[in-house]
Order: sequence, then structure tokens, then C-alpha cells
Amino acid sequence: MSIGLSRKRALAFSLPALLAITPFLGACFYIFRFSISAETGTIQGFSIRPYLDLMTPFFGRSVWLTVKLAFIATLIAMVLAVPLAFVLTSLRSPLARRCLTVTILLPLILNLLVQAYGWILLLGPSGVLNTTLRGLGIIDRPLFLLFNETGVLLGLVQTSLPLAVFPIVSSVRGLSQEHLEAASSLGASQWQTLRDITLPLLRPGLLGAASIVFAFNASAFAVPLLLGGRRVQMLGVAIRDMISPLFNWSGAAAAGMILIGITLFVLVFTSWLVRITSRNVRD
Amino acid sequence: MRVGLFPNEGGGSYRFVIMALAAIGVLISSLPVIIVTIMSFSASDNTGFPPQALSLRWYQEVIALFTQADGSSAQSVVDATLTSLLVAVIVMSISTLVCIPLAYALTRGDRRIRTGMELLFTLPLVFPLVILGIAFLLIAESLRLDIGIWRIVIPHIALVLPFVLRNCLGAMSGIHPEIEEAAISLGASPLRAIWDVVIPLMKAGILAGLIFALIISFNEFTITFFMYTIDVSTLPIWMYSRTVSSLDPSTLALSVFIIFADIVLIVLVDKLIAGRASLF
Repeated sequence: MSIGLSRKRALAFSLPALLAITPFLGACFYIFRFSISAETGTIQGFSIRPYLDLMTPFFGRSVWLTVKLAFIATLIAMVLAVPLAFVLTSLRSPLARRCLTVTILLPLILNLLVQAYGWILLLGPSGVLNTTLRGLGIIDRPLFLLFNETGVLLGLVQTSLPLAVFPIVSSVRGLSQEHLEAASSLGASQWQTLRDITLPLLRPGLLGAASIVFAFNASAFAVPLLLGGRRVQMLGVAIRDMISPLFNWSGAAAAGMILIGITLFVLVFTSWLVRITSRNVRD
Repeated sequence: MRVGLFPNEGGGSYRFVIMALAAIGVLISSLPVIIVTIMSFSASDNTGFPPQALSLRWYQEVIALFTQADGSSAQSVVDATLTSLLVAVIVMSISTLVCIPLAYALTRGDRRIRTGMELLFTLPLVFPLVILGIAFLLIAESLRLDIGIWRIVIPHIALVLPFVLRNCLGAMSGIHPEIEEAAISLGASPLRAIWDVVIPLMKAGILAGLIFALIISFNEFTITFFMYTIDVSTLPIWMYSRTVSSLDPSTLALSVFIIFADIVLIVLVDKLIAGRASLF
């Protein structure tokens, strides 16, 4: 005999959770419906005008900026995440492992305002970095690292780093020890092992992590709002501005659909890429 | 011999590069928090670094903020904190209560359904928060609902479901059906077997999910930024409205309390799942 879960009971067990996620699905549908509304303030009729109205140089720049910053931040996060994952998996002491885990995970969870305060204190015109550099006589005028793309980039890397590190850690744990031993006993240097064995084996995990980091960064809102100021109009902030001063609800919904489209495209494209490349490896 | 990805001795340039990159990663992750903590102990009014003298005056100020009933501000920090806590507790209870039976059904049920459901419950994780915030705001505005605190609770639940479900599924995966069969063959009803045998075994995962939901909801900013009203506002929103023009050291002291609470809770989660499951 096995614990056969009858269909009815399985449904009864799933129902509360499905109810809990219904508002989310409703919200997804609502935003889609609003984006094809003929009116900017209410849902009425069907029209693709909200999308056509977005075809302006301003919005195009915003899309380009979003994709560019998200891409660069993802690249940096991945370059930092792989070594961090290596170190995290090779730490022997549980205490050291725990400290490193908390340090990396904290930025994802901690109130984004607190982190923004930290960056402002560090990089602001009278912040730690500028005061130190001026004290040492290296610079005369303060460097402007905040309220421009540099500040946003730093914030994005920081908040998305955990999303890169932890999936890579589980890929690294699943790495077969034999391959590494074989490479090292055949005289491969560590760089050669990394290039020819480790990274190719980790590739599906790396691509998966990168796509999630990219999606997270492209849809960032608090970081560009707090560290970018008005000048860095990533999509998240641009969408907010359509609502808050302009009350262009359908336009905001359409811009939101475009943002979702970008992130979904990247997620689907990456999973396709993983499938294709892993098939090549098998052949 | 175990060949590590990170050699413990020798290794020349490889070891150096890996170490340097990891160190940069740790610095980027931790510097803001460290600076906030240091500056909160500064004795001066401005936020110049390094602090000329150390004091606890900003902490006293925070405590004063909480203890003095201050009627002047429309939204006092006490109200915001209580709302934040209340929202977080409701969110954590509901999301955990719905995820435990779902995790059970998915683990014991059809494999194909499980894949689809897992995908469905991962969606909120990759869905842009701004759009979610706007969508919920639009719905609340157009329905003209006066649902008080639930304005914030309902979106937060959607947000934490992926994390809670992941933890509950992780907890279920180690529990074999044989244990339940044993309970049933000893005369327990199937529901009784779940309640008395499975749930106690899931305890660590359930607790981890509870804490995860609590910290995510308590720290959430983006969706709440769209959903808050004058009557229902949370601590992150209060901090934002206070510091939108300038940074005040007492907010830093308040931040340190939040940092401390978050670290304690994350360590607890990490201990509970003890490297068995991945965090997300």
C-alpha cells in the first residue's frame, strides 16, 4: 500500500495556496488589460494606442539604459559571484561559512533604504571616499559617484549578488570531483582547469543564475530611485513617473508589459540556450 | 586527495585572483552596512567621516522617538513600526499555513502537476515589483475598497510565497511515505498521520519559511511604496519620507536596529536549514 493522495484531497490541500496567489494572477491580468485600454485613466474599449504612444525617443532611451545597466551589473555580479561561490563551498569552518552566508545574503533582504544610506555616506560628495581621497591630496574636487549611473550600478550589483551566488553554490556542490581530479592529475594548471573543466560544467547553472540576476536588475525600482536620482531613468522609475505626476495609467501599464516582455524574453532565451548547449555536450 | 576549486595552499595567480574577487564581493556586500553602523555612533550632527567623537546620542533619540507620544506628525514612527510588525506577522502566518498543505500535496501527488505548480509559485520572484505595485494600486483604486491593512498584506503574501513554499518543499523531501504508512497501519487516520507525524518532522523547514516571510515582509519597500496610505504605512516608508531631503543620524541608529534584527533572523534560518537546502 502506498499513501495514495486522492485527486480530491490533493486539490483541497492546494486550494488555500491557490487562493493566496490569485490576487497576484489577477494583478498580472489587470495590468495587461489596462495596457490595451482606449482610455488613459480607466479600462474602456481596446486600443494599442498606449503602446504606440510609448514610441518616443525618451522611452527608447529609458529601455536602452535599463538593458545596458542591467547587463553590466549582471556581468559584474557574475564575475564576483563565481569566486565567492568557490570560497563559500571550500570553507571548512561552519562559523566562517555562516558569516559569509549572512554577509552575502543580507543585501537582498535588508531594507533597501538602509543600504542606500550606506552608499550615500560612502560615495556622497562629503562621503568617506571623497573625504579620504581629498585628505590624501589625490583629488581636488569631489568625485560624483552618486545620482548617476555609477551609483545605480553599484547598488544593482550589491543587491543582486546573492541571487547569483547561491544558485552557483548549489551548482558547485553538484560538480563531479572526478573531473577535477583527472584534470589535475593530467597536469592541468588551475587556470586551465577553470577554463576547460569547471566553467563548462557549471555553464547551465551560470546561465540560469545570470538570467535571474538580469531580470531582477532590469526591474529594479528602489535602487535607481534612491541612488540614481531623477537623472537615471531606468524603466522602473520611468513607469512610476508616468503614474505619479502624469496619471497616465494605461501608458504605465503598457510600459510595464514591455518590461515584463524584456525580462521574460531573457529568461526564456537563456533556458533555450542552456538546452541547446547541454545537448551539444551530450553529443 | 580532494581537489578544491579554491586551493588552500600554493596556487599562485589563480588563488590570488579568486581571493581578490571574492574580497571585492564581500566588500560591496558589507560596506554600506558597516558604514551605517559606524556613523550611527557618531557624536556630531553631520555625517562627516570619520566621526570626531563617539556617542550614543542618536540611539537615545530613537528611543525618545518611540517613547514620546508625539501627536504632531501625522504618521508617528510607533504606528509605522506596529503596522510593519502586524503586516509581517499576518503575512508569515497565512503564507505558511497555505504552503504546508500545498507542499504535502505536491510531494505526494503527480510529478507533472508539481513542476507546473512550482513554476507558478516562482513567478512572483521574477515579476517586476514596480509593476506588481502599480497593478495592486490600480485594482485597489478602481474597486474603491477600504480594506485597511490588507492593502499591504495581500501583495506581500504573493511576494513571500515562493520563499515559503521552497522551504516547505525542502522540509517535505526528506520525509518518506513509509513513516506515514506506519502510522496508518497502527490505526491513525491519514489526516492524523499528517498532523502527528509529518508536520512535526517538517518543523525546521516550516520555521525557516516563517522567518523568511517575516523578514521579507518587514523589509519590503517597493510594493508598499505604491500601496501605503496615510492610515496604513510601514517603517520603510516612514524612513523614506523622513530622509527624502536629508540624512539624519537618528535614522541611522534606527537602521542599526533593523540590521541587527535581520542578521539574527538570517542566522536562525541558516541554522534551521543547516546547509541541507538552498535558500532559494
